[in-house]
Amino acid sequence: MFFHIVLERNMQLHPRHFGRDLREKLVSKLMKDVEGTCSGRHGFIVAITGIESVGKGLIRDGTGFVTFPVKYQCVVFRPFKGEILEAVVTMVNKMGFFAEAGPVQIFVSNHLIPDDMEFQSGDVPNYTTSDGSVKIQKESEVRLKIIGTRVDATEIFCIGTIKDDFLGVISDPGTNA
Amino acid sequence: MAEKGGKGFSLPKSGKSSLKSPASKGKDDSSAKSKRGRKVQFDSEGSLDTNSTKSNGKADIPSFKGDLGKAGKGEKAGSAGKSQKAKAPDPLELRVEQELSTKTTCMMDCEAADILQGIQENMVVLSDDPAIKLPVSFDRGLAYGQRIRLYDNPQAVEQILGPLKQHGVSDGELCMIANFPLESVDEVFAFVPSFKNRKSKLRVPLENVLAELTKLRKAA
Repeated sequence: MFFHIVLERNMQLHPRHFGRDLREKLVSKLMKDVEGTCSGRHGFIVAITGIESVGKGLIRDGTGFVTFPVKYQCVVFRPFKGEILEAVVTMVNKMGFFAEAGPVQIFVSNHLIPDDMEFQSGDVPNYTTSDGSVKIQKESEVRLKIIGTRVDATEIFCIGTIKDDFLGVISDPGTNA
Repeated sequence: MAEKGGKGFSLPKSGKSSLKSPASKGKDDSSAKSKRGRKVQFDSEGSLDTNSTKSNGKADIPSFKGDLGKAGKGEKAGSAGKSQKAKAPDPLELRVEQELSTKTTCMMDCEAADILQGIQENMVVLSDDPAIKLPVSFDRGLAYGQRIRLYDNPQAVEQILGPLKQHGVSDGELCMIANFPLESVDEVFAFVPSFKNRKSKLRVPLENVLAELTKLRKAA
């Protein structure tokens, strides 16, 4: 789910950037530093939407760098356990399938795929029901529920399930073609 | 061989749907199970959710709980509902708004898509520095928002959902309702387990809201 939150960060700026454009330099550096990053607490920082305040700078001893506390608003994408997402399948193998929902990657193990769907290897590996009416393959859209998350330095990895009510394939690329 | 449950469940999107609905109750070869009614996994946990979300006196997003083991068992065992009830309820795992920070607001996907699209369009104006590029997560977030957005006008959605707040529905719960093309109240209860203990109270207002949202989707 997307959230709009206010975060704070201490930005260090080299004295060569001081001048009329100091604020712009700070904002540029903030965008470079934080957009696209990920933390377990806040999720993915997708975009900065505004600056709330820039505090007074503090000179760092012996370096000349100045630290400015900057409060900023941003849009984050944070998955949580129990959340339902609509994801696009990126890879299918006999262990299960990988899907993406926004910046988040989700793995759905074959144990968490309905028992009546079986893995079919071939050029386009997929999970299919015995009558072939439902198929999960690359580019399929699935509605899944997140049941676990693992946070890395640069990404959040989720475990999902489609073995529950109202979950499963929404559309497969074959039918859309 | 068993037939995939819920094929009949229809979504506004094109293409085949395999989403399971309680009406179809999973597999055909499990008619006995079907009669019993396979409970949505959340149901056995809802009471705890509701109490706990209320306890902080703040608007919380639905406090879901997932469990790998349980999820795995859900389909296989006809008596899954029983066994889950027998288990001691686990503590809540997440209250996202609280965890993130005090100044946190949930966003509907259509709202987020609007904001991100605006940023993308204005990126040239926003930054003179060519070194600043939108990160991959931005592109993916935007693509996700655009792909699943259901409404063109987030304000209209907020207006429709507004009356639910009088029934104690939090912002996070409202966003969950707004993010998916939910068609029945039962689907809402499956998606938002914290409604479990308020089912009777919320059923009518939810029906009204879903009808309005369906109209809005069709008009878009």
